[in-house]
Amino acid sequence: MEIPYNVQVREDTGVYNSKLGIWLFLASEVMLFGGLFSAYILLRTGAPVWPPIGEHGSIAHLLTETIPHATFNTVILILSSVTMVMAWVSLKMKDLSKFRLYLGTTIVCALIFLVVKYFEYSHKIHEGFVPSHDTYMALYFTLTGLHGLHIIGGIIVLAYFFGPGIKMWGTEPERFTNRIEIIGLYWHFVDLVWIFLFPILYLLN
Amino acid sequence: MSGNDMAHHVANYRKIFVYLLIGTVLTVTAYYLEFNVQNSIAGAVFVGLTIAAIKGYLVAANFMHLNSEKKIIHWILLLTIFILGLLLFIPLLWDLNLMSHY
Repeated sequence: MEIPYNVQVREDTGVYNSKLGIWLFLASEVMLFGGLFSAYILLRTGAPVWPPIGEHGSIAHLLTETIPHATFNTVILILSSVTMVMAWVSLKMKDLSKFRLYLGTTIVCALIFLVVKYFEYSHKIHEGFVPSHDTYMALYFTLTGLHGLHIIGGIIVLAYFFGPGIKMWGTEPERFTNRIEIIGLYWHFVDLVWIFLFPILYLLN
Repeated sequence: MSGNDMAHHVANYRKIFVYLLIGTVLTVTAYYLEFNVQNSIAGAVFVGLTIAAIKGYLVAANFMHLNSEKKIIHWILLLTIFILGLLLFIPLLWDLNLMSHY
């Protein structure tokens, strides 16, 4: 049985079904991260010193050191958003080789982001700043960890469309283009979350 | 969409990319300039979050095409933002309640 409205637009909503679905999913994601941002505000306003001082002192000096890495990661994620939207444009222009180039670049950017994050995590853990050190570190690892999981999830889906999933272009090009638009919306949301995490966790301390 | 429409989109994406980079540079510059007022970081928080909100709007409006999206999507997001606003406001109520006891 064919799934309805995966290409054509529904008259009542004005969009195809998967677009409505991804926006509802993103709305739930806003609430998920919103809950954690709310916890951040509550813990921060209740703390006499921020970041709190724990067994190994304050993370403040280490945060200043990691600002260049976090800035680099911000630029990388913004670049990946541009290449993601360009991948969709390439499909609209029916240029599959450019699509591959842009989608491949998006995946590489995502991997670079994770590598930088790995070095950042290991440096902090090596210095004794583990999640149980203080409330800032707990929030830092929860927020960036959850965001990192979203990046990994995105990479898996993007890799699928770069590899086996691209076959659909030969049989249902319009449906494939819509799929890329959908994963693109998810990817831009992940970028958007980082845009807020960057100042909150690294700069405003 | 025609080739001309797409060319227009591409030019717009490049422009937004540059704006986002400028926004990132401004956010980091604001950190080093220290907008702190009377030993409070309220100024820095305001500047940092305002720039982040502008960058977020640029991504949502242009890359996520919210500026040309259907009404149903706008309504879903408005409802989400309203509930998110309430969620973020609850900790402030908690804080105000604590202050009223002193």
